[in-house]
Amino acid sequence: MTTGTAPARDTRRRTRLVGLTVTIVGLVILAVAAAVALSWRGDLPDPVATHWGAQGSPDGFMSLGAFLWAGFGLGALLVLGFGAVTTLWGQSAVSRRIGAATTIWVALFLALVQLGALHAQLGLADARGAGDIGGAITLATVGSLLPAVLVGLLLPGDPPQPAAAPVSPEASRVPLAASERAVWIGHTGAGPGIVLGAVAIIFLVTLAVIIGVWGLLIVAALLAGVFVGMFAFTVRVDETGLLVRSSAGWPRTRVPLDEVLRASVVQVHPLREFGGWGWRVGRGGRVGIVLRAGEGLLVERTGGRSIVVTVADAGTAAALLNTLADRHRHAR
Amino acid sequence: MLFRIDPSLDETLFAQLVTQVRLAVAQGVLQPGERLPAARELAASLDLNVHTVLRAYQLLRDDGLIELRRGRGAIVTARPAADHAKLLAAIDEVVREARALRFSPEATATLLKEAFSS
Repeated sequence: MTTGTAPARDTRRRTRLVGLTVTIVGLVILAVAAAVALSWRGDLPDPVATHWGAQGSPDGFMSLGAFLWAGFGLGALLVLGFGAVTTLWGQSAVSRRIGAATTIWVALFLALVQLGALHAQLGLADARGAGDIGGAITLATVGSLLPAVLVGLLLPGDPPQPAAAPVSPEASRVPLAASERAVWIGHTGAGPGIVLGAVAIIFLVTLAVIIGVWGLLIVAALLAGVFVGMFAFTVRVDETGLLVRSSAGWPRTRVPLDEVLRASVVQVHPLREFGGWGWRVGRGGRVGIVLRAGEGLLVERTGGRSIVVTVADAGTAAALLNTLADRHRHAR
Repeated sequence: MLFRIDPSLDETLFAQLVTQVRLAVAQGVLQPGERLPAARELAASLDLNVHTVLRAYQLLRDDGLIELRRGRGAIVTARPAADHAKLLAAIDEVVREARALRFSPEATATLLKEAFSS
């Protein structure tokens, strides 16, 4: 059997490695974009257009140098911020994946938007003649999301980290006879997030029609896909541990019984603790599947990890999870 | 909700499931419109044959407690809540009287069972 400290050290090393790597890759992406932009210097007007109005024509201008520094500065700040979050709060595979994907996404998105804006001005003598860049922004959105999602999917998950200690004795239990088998199944459904999601999608579709940027429809479709996966979950506690599964089948996550330290009921404030609704990373790297405020199931897990799911009757779920984890420890 | 199965009991496994869903509906743990787990998932978690769960679901449907819809699974249907409220109030009364007379839960349950068979 492994001790409690060795996997924790492994986890820290792995998390630091991933955080550092995505930070460096993000900074390299930004630097490469700036270098490409500099190589276009001879074919760009001076000043260059840096902001476009609602009509699709440029209304803000800057020197190329200032634009590139501003873009690199903002990008580096965001990459360092998300990279730090990945490094410090990435002890769970879910947090690490979300953090790494976000770091890569923000770097790629800013780099592509900047290059797209400049590309529209190649060969122009006066930046005021630059055309609409709606297409470039759509390309940047899709072109940055796909590699970022790929990074998230390709990052390895957590290796098994069985607990050395027994389940917390103060935690609640369900009286269960030795011959009894038990399962708890609950559902968590649409909360305030679904309204926000619907509003965002309707807004994007309307905007696409009004300003004629049809590429925005792709963004709306991507968003709709995310919402289908995010806004109804089945929560199950049985001999295999805790399973949280989207009604769409994916995303899903598992906590095996041998990694459960303690399950309990908590009051969840999605906005305050997780910055919103859905499948999220909260303070300290806690994973949250939070669709509404109120009662939630908190599972503290080995390797400094924890997960919260907002679901009704969480008390029963927690008690059963503690009981089954006990039983699993004794059977070993 | 919590489902539990004890193979060491005399009651058949499917009957144990039926009893639990009935109780959960009567006590309001399961509300009308709520979905029961997919038969296959419940069977896998409790290490039961899926036909055992399906048999329980069919019996509950025949009793009018749930509706079975293709693709949507088993949904708890609306039931007049007043009926259960009366029964639960009567049970509270029985428990109170039994305690006052220092009757054990087992002895009280035996009395209830005898009353059913008469």
